[in-house]
Amino acid sequence: MIQLHNVFMSYQKEVTALHGINLRVPRGEFIFLTGPSGAGKSTLLRLLYAGLTPTRGQVVIDGQNVTRMTRSQIPYLRRSIGVVFQDFKLLPNRTVLENVAITLEVLGWGKQDINKKVYHILKQMGLEHKINATPLRLSGGEQQRVALARALVNDPKILLADEPTGNLDEENKDLILNIFKDANIRGTTVVVATHDKRLIENSHKRIVSLDKGKIVEGSDAGQ
Amino acid sequence: MPVNKPLKRPKLANEGVVGRSTFFVNRALLNIRQNIFVNLVTIGTITLAILIISLFMLVFVNLEGVSNDWSKRVQVTAYFEQELSPPELATLKSLVQAIPGTDRVTYVSKEEAFKRFRERLKGQELLLEGITTDVLPSSVEISLKSASRNSDAISAYVARLKKVPGVTEVQYGEEWVQRYTTFMNFMRMAGLLLGSFLFLAVVFIVSNTIKLTIYSRKEELEILGLVGATRFFIKAPFLIEGILQGAAGAGLALVILTGCYYAFLHNAGNFLSFNPAASGLAFLPPVHIAGLFVSGVLLGFIGSITSLKRFVSV
Repeated sequence: MIQLHNVFMSYQKEVTALHGINLRVPRGEFIFLTGPSGAGKSTLLRLLYAGLTPTRGQVVIDGQNVTRMTRSQIPYLRRSIGVVFQDFKLLPNRTVLENVAITLEVLGWGKQDINKKVYHILKQMGLEHKINATPLRLSGGEQQRVALARALVNDPKILLADEPTGNLDEENKDLILNIFKDANIRGTTVVVATHDKRLIENSHKRIVSLDKGKIVEGSDAGQ
Repeated sequence: MPVNKPLKRPKLANEGVVGRSTFFVNRALLNIRQNIFVNLVTIGTITLAILIISLFMLVFVNLEGVSNDWSKRVQVTAYFEQELSPPELATLKSLVQAIPGTDRVTYVSKEEAFKRFRERLKGQELLLEGITTDVLPSSVEISLKSASRNSDAISAYVARLKKVPGVTEVQYGEEWVQRYTTFMNFMRMAGLLLGSFLFLAVVFIVSNTIKLTIYSRKEELEILGLVGATRFFIKAPFLIEGILQGAAGAGLALVILTGCYYAFLHNAGNFLSFNPAASGLAFLPPVHIAGLFVSGVLLGFIGSITSLKRFVSV
């Protein structure tokens, strides 16, 4: 599902964020990207959803070479990828329903179908009673679940998460982890970048460790 | 293991040109409602911008009106030694009329010239004693089309007029025409310069205001990009918003301008030494009003499109 071949990424000429990364994540796998701050975890995730183009090397997502995509092809790639962040990135002046609906509006869904589908996913997240609230009235855990609902509402093939539990307490961390696992069970390939050791230990999933832009552990499936 | 079902696309309510357009317009209206404050700031800025430009235009249009009145005084007179017979006069008139730039040709006979002379000397008719109508030459007075009312065009015109058989002398207020032409050129230059600076300043202020309002919503642009919205999908509601802001701003400015104009017309007599209503103070012609409205819409649209370029990277 995800393949990186000898990927280099430099922001400026001097600063190299990734050094010759080789990584393979088969369809339906769940991996943790871990490593200290500045190891290149976020950069790697951004490469996966074409938020960045690598300086060198190839990124292949679901059989498509992302590095060769034109600007107008990228949106269609992103429709099969859900992304969540540490800071949730919710729109504060929109309701929960509107925040989650964005994903389906982009696909051109009709209003009634959107409402049904959004209600359904919010129910899975245990947030159906907050459908008309604005994010500012929600707790951190609830906000992250809304962000997850937005990422998962169109059943993406891949779910990427950048420090998704960074702002959450232990109870909410478990809740979020379970949502990831559920999505994974339904067939979504999950990549979670985190340095939360407890989260990683509890999950018994493949771990890919990064340090100073290089993979130091777990670069290939089955390692 | 259960696998994601391939996403079955439900019936797409927003497909087709009409469906999409409706969706985008609704989205734009929703955005305006949800970001009412930044929208009011933008509309206010556009209103002020259009108001400043339209006031400038109003002054300019009225100055041009005044100068146009003056230019009607530009007249060329051709004198003849002999009184012309009606067929001769007809030939001459047609010859003069054929010269490009001629507007109206009026024949002034010796009697008519004498009558005018007598009127000018009212109260001193004694001076005319013993003088017959024969002493004054007959003439044609030619008024020129507005494009020919400057010194270069008149010189060329007079040169051609002198070649018409029977014409012995041609007169026009050469010095006055020259001064008038210089003044008009100066006024047009100053107007153009001042207008351009004003326009640039206004475009700069409006585009920066729009840039700031779009900057305040860059998170929304980012999220839309993340969930796979195409550039068109992201930009369309913002552009519609820009057009609506421009239309609202320009409309408001024109309403205020009209209000100010009529308030001035009715009240200025109280504190000015002349009555503007009687002096023929003109409002902007419809073409200018339409132009200002379109400028407002374009300001909103172009301001949005240039600002979006910075923030929509997908």
